[in-house]
Amino acid sequence: MSKNKFFKVLGSLMVASLLLAACGTAATEEAAAEVVEPAMEEAAPAEEAAEPAAEEAASNDFVFGVLMVGVYNNKGWDQAHYDAGLYVEDQIPGTSMIYIDKVNTSDRPGTTAAQLAEELVSKGANLIIFNSDDMKDSAVEFAVNHPDVYVIYSTGDTQWAEGANYQELANMKNIMGRMEYGKMIAGCAAALTSETGKIGFLGPLINEETRRLAASAYLGAEYCWDNYAGKDPADLTFEVNWIGFWFNIPGVTSDPSQVTDDFFNSGYDVVISGIDTTEALVEAKKFADGGQTAYAIPYDYEGACEQAPEVCLGVPYFNWGPSYKAAIQEAIDGTWTNTWEWLDPDWTDINNKDTSMIGFNKGDALSAENAAMVDEFIAELAGGLNLWTGPMNLQDGTEYLADGEVATDYQIWYLPQLLEGMIGLSSAAE
Amino acid sequence: MHIQLKNIHKYFGSVHANNDVSLTIEPGQILGLLGENGAGKSTLMKILSGLICKDNGEILINGEEQNLNSPADALRLGIGMLHQDPHDFPSMTIREDLQIWNQRSDRTRTDATDWQALMNIQEDLGFNLDLDGSVGDLTVGERQQLELARLLWLGVELLILDEPTTGISALQQEVLFSALKKLAGQGKTIIFVSHKLEEVKELCSRAVVLRKGCLIGEREAPFDENDLVKLMFGRQITRTRTAHARTRDVCMSVQNLNIEDFRIAIENVNFDLYAGEVIGLAGMEGSGQRQFLQALAGMKQPSSGHIRFGDEDLFGRNCYEYQKRGIFYVPTARMEEGLVPGMTLEEHYILSDCEKKIFIDSRKSHKTTEERIQRFNIKGRSATYSEELSGGNQQRLLLSLLQDPAQLLLLENPTRGLDIESTNWIWSILRERCQAATSIIFSSADLDELTFYADRILVFFSGRISEPLDSAGLDEERLGRMIGGKDWPK
Amino acid sequence: MRKNRGFINFLFRISGILAALLFTALVLVIAKANPWEAFGNILMGAVSTPIKIADSFVAWVPLILATCGLVITFTTGLWNIGIEGQISLGAIMTTWALRLLQDSGLPPVVIILAGILAGMAGGIIWALLAGVLKFYGGVSEIFAGLGLNFIATALTLWLIFGPWKRAGVASMSGTEPFDMSIWLPTIPGYRLSVWSLALAVASVLIVYFLLQHTVIGLRLKAVGKNYKAAIQMGISPSKYMLLAFVLCGLFAGLTGAVQVLGVYHRLIPSISSGYGFLGLLVAMLVDYQIVWAVPVALLFAALNIGGIQLPIMMKIDSTLSGVMQSALVLFFMLMDGVRKKMLKKEEDLSDE
Repeated sequence: MSKNKFFKVLGSLMVASLLLAACGTAATEEAAAEVVEPAMEEAAPAEEAAEPAAEEAASNDFVFGVLMVGVYNNKGWDQAHYDAGLYVEDQIPGTSMIYIDKVNTSDRPGTTAAQLAEELVSKGANLIIFNSDDMKDSAVEFAVNHPDVYVIYSTGDTQWAEGANYQELANMKNIMGRMEYGKMIAGCAAALTSETGKIGFLGPLINEETRRLAASAYLGAEYCWDNYAGKDPADLTFEVNWIGFWFNIPGVTSDPSQVTDDFFNSGYDVVISGIDTTEALVEAKKFADGGQTAYAIPYDYEGACEQAPEVCLGVPYFNWGPSYKAAIQEAIDGTWTNTWEWLDPDWTDINNKDTSMIGFNKGDALSAENAAMVDEFIAELAGGLNLWTGPMNLQDGTEYLADGEVATDYQIWYLPQLLEGMIGLSSAAE
Repeated sequence: MHIQLKNIHKYFGSVHANNDVSLTIEPGQILGLLGENGAGKSTLMKILSGLICKDNGEILINGEEQNLNSPADALRLGIGMLHQDPHDFPSMTIREDLQIWNQRSDRTRTDATDWQALMNIQEDLGFNLDLDGSVGDLTVGERQQLELARLLWLGVELLILDEPTTGISALQQEVLFSALKKLAGQGKTIIFVSHKLEEVKELCSRAVVLRKGCLIGEREAPFDENDLVKLMFGRQITRTRTAHARTRDVCMSVQNLNIEDFRIAIENVNFDLYAGEVIGLAGMEGSGQRQFLQALAGMKQPSSGHIRFGDEDLFGRNCYEYQKRGIFYVPTARMEEGLVPGMTLEEHYILSDCEKKIFIDSRKSHKTTEERIQRFNIKGRSATYSEELSGGNQQRLLLSLLQDPAQLLLLENPTRGLDIESTNWIWSILRERCQAATSIIFSSADLDELTFYADRILVFFSGRISEPLDSAGLDEERLGRMIGGKDWPK
Repeated sequence: MRKNRGFINFLFRISGILAALLFTALVLVIAKANPWEAFGNILMGAVSTPIKIADSFVAWVPLILATCGLVITFTTGLWNIGIEGQISLGAIMTTWALRLLQDSGLPPVVIILAGILAGMAGGIIWALLAGVLKFYGGVSEIFAGLGLNFIATALTLWLIFGPWKRAGVASMSGTEPFDMSIWLPTIPGYRLSVWSLALAVASVLIVYFLLQHTVIGLRLKAVGKNYKAAIQMGISPSKYMLLAFVLCGLFAGLTGAVQVLGVYHRLIPSISSGYGFLGLLVAMLVDYQIVWAVPVALLFAALNIGGIQLPIMMKIDSTLSGVMQSALVLFFMLMDGVRKKMLKKEEDLSDE
């Protein structure tokens, strides 16, 4: 009898916690709902006439739909895309954005990205942006089934004619930024600041993209350690620790806070984050508050440092606005071509909102002296310095680049292993 | 405390549970409240103790009208009720349990718990509870003592006891009765709810009888038993004795059986049970009868020994093996262990049907159900849920589920809480079984029932089991002493 | 009396629904949104076009399949929290069978059937593990289920990022999609497959028949309602509880198989899509009556599909659908509690 009661209570608690969780998100929506109110009215003037009105809007406007894998205001990857959408709306009169966020099967059980894209089309979208690698199959499927709708599949390589996964789709574009430079700058800032010469890299899951980004951070760190700090390369330790995913899933991934703590506890004093969330920064602040030297470099979003500016050396970030603006303009003008774009920063000013794909916001924790050196490093990169130049070996010792050989885009994009000198796994254990 | 009930009415849906009941009770009186099951006794007492609200009428306490909206209200006025199922916290020690009650009552203003007062009450009434023992380990009788002491400790002036002798041993009953008499002598008012005439006769100075919600009669001591029975049932009922059916064929032979339990150890039991024989288990509640019955049904594994049944030794087999051979155990907690709440009578009959089948044959099961309902005189329909039946009917249902013919029935307190009529009826059914060579072992706290229905009696005393005693010519007084732990061979 | 009681029950249920709607409306008002508009959008988003109706059914199929299994375990008094893991294992086994057979040249029908059978086997194995842990390890099925869920998720991720990763890029998007020939065929222009729909309907009928018209079903019920009494009636509770686990695992595995064969056409990290947990809510809401689970699961599926409209049309988070679902269950249980309390007072009479 009492067991029954226990289960009833347990059941109610479960439901209640679900409710609370849901309320929590609903409440945070409040602010957002206010901000976008005008846009909302435009999109949905009256409830019963919702659909025709949306279609009407489509005839006047160019509507682009954005599918975001996470929450649109997450101060990370997705917000960078959301902000880019607002930028396009602002820059090209007559365009408007509709979006669905949390496009993943845990948050939206039973749906696929292709299905949600169709939903956006039925609301008048002429172009759909898929913002995540996870949506690859859906993006391709959708593009095949809807040749009349433009598709931007960010981060992908399906429209790279020389790439390994080319599949010609006239209505599709791939856009990606050369974050390799951002990571090099991050690595440089880390190496200049580190006293112990031990730099940790908090990696997500292991794939070609994450390998090449971790390697870039290492190349930047090594270069600045050697050339600016003038220290012995043998004293530099660069370790990658993969948690297994883009963010923490309790019980499944390693806990990123724990991994960061382990770094700081074993003599590492700078942690570069490769994951979508800001645990590295939060933990660094904890250690700094405890009197230890600890710094972190977050990732993805230009405002990421705000969470703990006093330990943040800076953040390499994506600025999707200009590239999306260009692509959408092409679609409007009818000059669209299927291309694969891997965009450089604007070397005249990497933080120019209107021109640069990749930026680096220096953080408060970066000393003036080191900041100057970072600027110098950026200038060198702008001047044509290419750290992906041989001789360079892969982690297992096999030759990657011969002496003087410069890596091709293909070699970098599909980097098969970490580089020699880096500690950490090159591929998931099988 | 002077209590006056005026024109009390209570309805449950369309049922008129109390119909214009008026009653006056003087201080120092032990009032017997009689009536058969379902007569409205408990309802009336629950109204008086604040557990349920009356629909109409007045309650005057010491001449003032009072509204009793909760048991706490009643307790504040000095009214306490001893329930059929004790209201306490089984996982706590007695001390903790009492502290909770102490904090909940408004009568004590001090933070410190007055243990001395409690010990005085205990001593005065002849109870012997270990305050640091766990409540869950107490027998029904001991729990009752605890509750009684607690109520007195909280300063109760009117004590209501609802069927207090159900499930307690004869010795505990004796202790209880002497305590109640003492309390009445101290000026406390006591209402004693029962359907057992002998108890009322022994204890009460006045008795009132409820029938179908109405107060239909009032008698002063000394009572005429037949007169009271007539009032209760509208007719006279006596026990009918049928011929014993014991044969000389051995049904089960128990040899050197040892049963161990965390509470009790039963050692070296030896006896032969004959086909058609009825063996009664006497003893205080919790003396090992339950463990013994369960061991013989395979529900509980004995630690060693032999249970010979036919050509086999059933020692170590599980209960399903026993059931296959026609050995069935019928627990005393009907709803908790015997019947399935939320299932209809018909579903019970389908489940207990031993034929191996995949699909439910509703036509056949319907027929069986109607048949059994009629044969076992169950007041219910095939679609009635088992928990909707009254206690007596639940017991009939339980017995009607038993496979026929069965070899051995092991019944734990089969007539607990039932009125005379139901008890008689159930025994007439069991007797019929015995005529068909079914053996029965049953436990009971009622000495009359034991000597009347059993061929032989085994007396239990804290794990010890006596030699089988022939019930014919057995001296009841000797039986009582043995239950109390005296007259045992060294 | 009985009929009257049925009517009272009905009133309580209706008031539960009303309370849930009111509560959700209140949440919306707090979030400064128009409740009517939101409800209207959800409704239109689920039923306004044939495609949307079909999409609701696409979500209904796995949900009702999972609920079919859960109704059996609940009937037997078990809280099979491990259903999520059982769905995942079903999906893993289906994927495994398809990977083995896709290049074998066997006819697609055979491969699909093998996939379904493998999925059922996977669900059964995982459910049996929970059962064995309960009966031989003394671990409550709730904790065993939670643990096994974690292991199933880890296993799924390991397979996707490890042995079954795509050439080159291990990715969240799952394993390489299967060839279209071994997808469950869909109605042209829709995502709905007649075959998965038929599987779901058949499952509902089977569970209904099992629980209503077979002795085994009645025994499962008896074990769930009072296992001590079941022992007296010669029914072994542990045997029947294991049977309930097996049956639930079978339906959970089927759910996983349908997710792989009919929806995602590959193994993805969250292949169970939370249908197991949602199924728990549905089963609780309908008081474990499979007949009622059919419309309620459809309602929940429609809420999931209709909820997509909220962020598009009103910039409201679509978790509102989740709020509604949870609120429905919460208020239902609340109302049920009140009802039982009232009935209990009545029953004091029959106690006498």
